[in-house]
Amino acid sequence: MKPLQGIRVIDLTQAMAAPFCTMNLADMGADVIKIEPPGEGEPTRQLGAAQKNGHSATFMTMNRCKRGIAVDLKQPEGVEIVRKLVATADVFVQNYRPGVVNRLGLDFDSLKKINPRLVYCQISGFGNTGPYSGRGGYDLIAQGMSGVISVTGDEDGPPAKSGIPLADLAAGLFGAYGILSALEYRERTGEGQLVDTSLLEAAMALTVWESAEYWSTGKAPKPVGSAHRNSAPYQALRALDGYFTVGAGSDKLFAAFCAVLGRKDFLEDQRFAGRAARLANRRALEAEIEKITGRETRAAWLERLEKAGVPAGPINNYAEALADPHALARGMVVDLVHPGAGAIKALGVPVKLSETPGAVERAAPLLGQHTAEVLAELCYSESEQKALLSKGVVQ
Amino acid sequence: MVSQKNPPPGETPGALEGLRVIDQTQVMAGPFCSMLLADMGAEVIKVEPREGEYTRQERAIAPGVSASFLALNRNKRSLALDLKQPEGVEILKKLAATADVLVENYRPGVAGRLGVDFEILKKVNPRLIYCSISGFGQTGPYASRGGFDLIAQGMSGIMSATGSEGGPPVKVGVPITDLGAGLFAVFGILCALRARRATGRGQFVDTSLFEAGLALSAWEATEYWYTGQIPKRLGTAHRLNAPYQAFKASDGYFTVGAANNKLWGLFAQMLGLGKLVADPRFDTVGGRMQNRLELERLLEAETSKQPRAVWLERCEKAGVPAGPIYSVAEALADPQAQARGMTLEYEYPGVGMVKALGNPVKLSRTPARLRRVPPRLGEDSDAILRELGYGVDEVKALRQKKAIS
Repeated sequence: MKPLQGIRVIDLTQAMAAPFCTMNLADMGADVIKIEPPGEGEPTRQLGAAQKNGHSATFMTMNRCKRGIAVDLKQPEGVEIVRKLVATADVFVQNYRPGVVNRLGLDFDSLKKINPRLVYCQISGFGNTGPYSGRGGYDLIAQGMSGVISVTGDEDGPPAKSGIPLADLAAGLFGAYGILSALEYRERTGEGQLVDTSLLEAAMALTVWESAEYWSTGKAPKPVGSAHRNSAPYQALRALDGYFTVGAGSDKLFAAFCAVLGRKDFLEDQRFAGRAARLANRRALEAEIEKITGRETRAAWLERLEKAGVPAGPINNYAEALADPHALARGMVVDLVHPGAGAIKALGVPVKLSETPGAVERAAPLLGQHTAEVLAELCYSESEQKALLSKGVVQ
Repeated sequence: MVSQKNPPPGETPGALEGLRVIDQTQVMAGPFCSMLLADMGAEVIKVEPREGEYTRQERAIAPGVSASFLALNRNKRSLALDLKQPEGVEILKKLAATADVLVENYRPGVAGRLGVDFEILKKVNPRLIYCSISGFGQTGPYASRGGFDLIAQGMSGIMSATGSEGGPPVKVGVPITDLGAGLFAVFGILCALRARRATGRGQFVDTSLFEAGLALSAWEATEYWYTGQIPKRLGTAHRLNAPYQAFKASDGYFTVGAANNKLWGLFAQMLGLGKLVADPRFDTVGGRMQNRLELERLLEAETSKQPRAVWLERCEKAGVPAGPIYSVAEALADPQAQARGMTLEYEYPGVGMVKALGNPVKLSRTPARLRRVPPRLGEDSDAILRELGYGVDEVKALRQKKAIS
């Protein structure tokens, strides 16, 4: 048994944030039914550089473990199918710009009349209300407007964003948190509700330390490269053959680190004695440490630091990260078979439940792969299904 | 303060009201997880060592008041407990018997040494959902290692994809693997709560900073697996699309996401560079990706002639997604952020008005809200012990023995 077994999710989503939200629900056993337009399907099905046998990698990544149906929402019969599905569902997730679903009659107020128990989740660029609610938003824009870009990158370099689309991903996760919280409330009261989040708010919610720094000092935080705003040494350090990371900001870990470096005298150096002094003299400390770390290889330092119990690690590229023995031991790389692309790889479930674990067991659907199956579940007869097919309402 | 099963008249209920959470966490990933539960109405009891959680010593804004601690511990109660004394362990077990969820982020093994790990507590309460957040997870070759956000960002590949090509390593400026692990933990806990309805039993929920970093690398893993190319550092640019990046204006940078042919056409026209749309180097996404640096050069020759405000206004009129690159101060002051309640303000006793981030998810019927300000160390120790059935004299004796404070 998976934990969300029995929860049905209608997925009217595209691109990344909302598909990532429903993907996580699907990994945990929810029956996620993805609705796509006939013909081309969801826009991420269009091929970019990443594809296999003509199947889009980005689509396959974000839509595993889901069922797929193709329905034309420009035809009234298509909208009727979605409304019938909603009547059977627990959750509805969409990420259109505010307004689009109103024209289709698939907004929260319309759907709660069909199903008062429905938890309706909307993930947009800026949220359903406020002056920018009608604007389109992307991860990049949310990263810029949330302050995330302003605290990322080299101290003096050009702007850099988080290399991973963290506003998209976090909005998807916050959406899942809102949905599951709303389902708990529904268990007690029978009432569904609207769950409304956005890329901008998700990215802002990640600036916990940075906003605290701003409010407590009055100064807006700046980029610090790989370093920590409030702790040193905690950064990438240069070895003979490249960089590695060390986190040794506490007095105890710093002492252990100094022992590994063979420089216990740092502990008596007044520039480095105590957390506040190390933070104030971070650049000097970095220079002193790199004089020593620069003499030997990353591997040599990492081995010694592990023995000494000082948190440290390599800076892996993705080829290395995805082949790391610990990543594999934790099931973070999964093999799947896609009906068109054949053998593919996928990331695993990062949170492990001991009794009812989630699992990545099914590749993303082909366009319309489950249309007939889902229509049959909704009690459309074979002749009705044929008529819908011939009118192009479904595919 | 006694936990409230029903909200006072006129106040909205919380989605997670009635849920009791023991919060044995410190610093960021764990406290963020339990704060998200508390925002939704769960009763979260923060169990701290008698000297207080580590973060209480950071970023003081008044004697004994830490800005970092305030940022992650609102809506919680505090119980200060010495788990090295048998009486402390006994109290925690009694508390676990009354709880639905326990969250901890010790290094693997520490909870076992204290005698309060899942195997022990599930005997006290088989319905308990026990969530551990660690650097690398409870199993696998690195399980016993300490892990920080920096280490996880480095090992998961995130640092290899962040920053500008050729520069020194940089990490994502916010501690994304801490925050991501906190979010995945909340997700796992809420999933386990649903499973408990069917099974009647709790379970162990195990996640880590390293795994959160990998799970957030979905795009980058995809690029690597399907193209064989190792994702590089691209500054502000997109892996699969162009133009989608920061551009230089006369007074700084702004972002533009013209991520499809239609938006690219609109953006080029807006800049007076309509001729580029038909240019064979730039007429497809693939072409624009291949010639991204040349494209950037041609576009910046125009964008650098005017200030950001001019371009942002024109982009909005043209329907091209674009935005400023705000400092954290500007981000918090933005009218949309304000309209969405992203800044809360409350009076903290002895300090005055304090600001905090709002919850990013808006629930129409049961909105997240501030129910109480972050607790002083041990503020609720007496009340919680009395709820557990300890008499007034017993509480006094425990205090004298320094089992609580």
